[in-house]
Amino acid sequence: MDVPQPLIWIAKIVVIFGGLVGTAALMSLAERKVSAWMQYRIGPNRVGPFGLLQPLADGIKFIFKEELIPAGANKFMFRLAPALSAAPAMLTMAVIPIGGTAVIAGREIPLSIADVDIGVLFLLAFSGLSIYGVILGGWASNSKYSLLGGLRASAQMISYELTLILTILAVVALEGTLNLRAISENQASIGQWNIWTQPLAFVLFTITMFAETNRHPFDFAECEPELVGGFHTEYSAMRFALYFLGEYCAMTVLSCLNATLFLGGPSVPFWPEAPWFIGVAAFCLKAGFFLFLFLWVRWSLPRMRFDQLMRLGWKVFLPLALANLLVTGAFISFGAH
Amino acid sequence: MSEFLFYLLSVIALVGGLGVIFSKSPMGSVLSLLLSFFALAVVYLLAGFAFMAAVQILVYAGAIMVLFLFVIMLLNLGGMGTRFELSAAPLSSSRAKLAAVVAAGVGLAGLIAAQRASLPALPEGGAPERIDDIQQIAIALFGRYSLPFQAVSLLLLVTMVAVLVLAKRRGKESAQ
Amino acid sequence: MVIVQRKELTFAERLYLPEIFRGLSITFSKFFEKPITRQYPEEPLPTDEVTRGQPRLVVKDDGNIACVSCGMCEIACPAYAITIDGGETDRQIEREPKRFEIDMLRCILCGFCEEACPKDAIFMSNELELADTTRRGLVYDLEKLKRPKSALQPRIDYVYRINKRWRSKQP
Repeated sequence: MDVPQPLIWIAKIVVIFGGLVGTAALMSLAERKVSAWMQYRIGPNRVGPFGLLQPLADGIKFIFKEELIPAGANKFMFRLAPALSAAPAMLTMAVIPIGGTAVIAGREIPLSIADVDIGVLFLLAFSGLSIYGVILGGWASNSKYSLLGGLRASAQMISYELTLILTILAVVALEGTLNLRAISENQASIGQWNIWTQPLAFVLFTITMFAETNRHPFDFAECEPELVGGFHTEYSAMRFALYFLGEYCAMTVLSCLNATLFLGGPSVPFWPEAPWFIGVAAFCLKAGFFLFLFLWVRWSLPRMRFDQLMRLGWKVFLPLALANLLVTGAFISFGAH
Repeated sequence: MSEFLFYLLSVIALVGGLGVIFSKSPMGSVLSLLLSFFALAVVYLLAGFAFMAAVQILVYAGAIMVLFLFVIMLLNLGGMGTRFELSAAPLSSSRAKLAAVVAAGVGLAGLIAAQRASLPALPEGGAPERIDDIQQIAIALFGRYSLPFQAVSLLLLVTMVAVLVLAKRRGKESAQ
Repeated sequence: MVIVQRKELTFAERLYLPEIFRGLSITFSKFFEKPITRQYPEEPLPTDEVTRGQPRLVVKDDGNIACVSCGMCEIACPAYAITIDGGETDRQIEREPKRFEIDMLRCILCGFCEEACPKDAIFMSNELELADTTRRGLVYDLEKLKRPKSALQPRIDYVYRINKRWRSKQP
């Protein structure tokens, strides 16, 4: 039986995109569960076994809730902003290879939606765009809390994007390619994982991940005690849910990116000939660890102060990332060959 | 198909550009410019410059326009009043004149370096075939066009310092 | 005035990361401990004789309520939650309430009615749950207030014990 290529593409899109959105939905449950477990509680357990259907119930509730647009808001922008926040986060998943090459019924299928040569650049470009949703949403709400949240988010994300790019650049320089599939294939065995050659970049990237997704302890765009709800103070119903979906998608994508760049993507330690589905499982485990880290940190650490965040970004992380890149460059030029 | 797309995107880019000029609110201008950038990025993509397209979005849409938005939101530009008159004071000192000469010199040097025929010759076999290859771009940028590239970087740095000087000066005056 | 001497941080503390891991390890160790959650509707709160729940009327063993509609509780009630219309009965006590209503939305569970009652007819039960969709539904009438004496016995015993204690001080 010969399956036409477009069908395979569509299947891949459905599986990977569905997986992403499903993960994001489950993250909303995991967030509550993890926080509960850390506080001697049980967490949601009424809807379905172990509360597993809670995201579904939440989704239905969000759809049927009343949609409010504040007076004086820029209606067009107000409606557009949540989509702008969610869409880039979902788009970027396209270039991440979730596994090696699957062999199904004798056909070889590379396990990523798009295998582009400039995968890293594409991902950075589009993940940088998700900030527009936050800024525009904050601005269009015509509310001082939203505006402050949006402003903080923009300042923060610009500052930390530099570090993010510089740390990724060190890996890219080492691998000599911008293709994410090639990068993950270059780390086939555990000894080749980039975390050993780029430990500083790994630490910086992991911390910057939190700042880029506006997550605790850097969640100044929301910052409940000061800004009510930050940029999404005025949002309700499905648009509010869309912001959350975007945030969780961005978290998922960055976790996958971290796993791909530093932890060898789908490579299984000490089992180089592992079948492709084991590889996919390994990839999911690695990404899942970072997703858990997001929640773990959120429910453990207090929020920083905004000036601390900026000082950390510009005076600590940026110089460290630059130094790391410099050393990496020097090593490549003089040491390796 | 691609020709049709090209004309469509050109129209979108033009509409975006016009929107920048004719939009009543600064926010509208920024968004129009964004639209224009995106259309341009897709045009690059159509021409096969995937790298250029990604960089266009990364740098212009992802970084520069965000800064624009940031400033607009911070200043809350309603009516364009006379609030932004720059004083010419910092330009009058002799040091400032020197700085201006240096900046102009650097710019000129860059231009000349880009124009001069004394550049290293093209690699054998003419221009590289795959213009989209990042390695080729890097080699061209840091090899053949190294001097103009450095000059432009320096010029940007000078501009940044100049803006800082102007802004700082204004702040001091308003504090008095 | 207190001058707080700020502690000089060691290098490891200023590096911040080790401290973060210390914090993370603390929360992670809590991960596997037994939750203290009470699944409320299924596992109700424990109550005992001291619990002052909603007031209920005692139904004696012969099937009649002990209330003689004297109105003492009505007067004692600080929230004006009790309404009594007295009436006659053929029983020996001659009087019983025709209408006895407690507005549970007004009741503050203070227990004054219990204290005021000369006939041991009203006691605070251990019933705490209160929910309805209308206000009228939360105005409890005679039928809703009646409880057999056996159900209220622990509370009755408790009240007797307490009363005896402070009565003995004023002989």
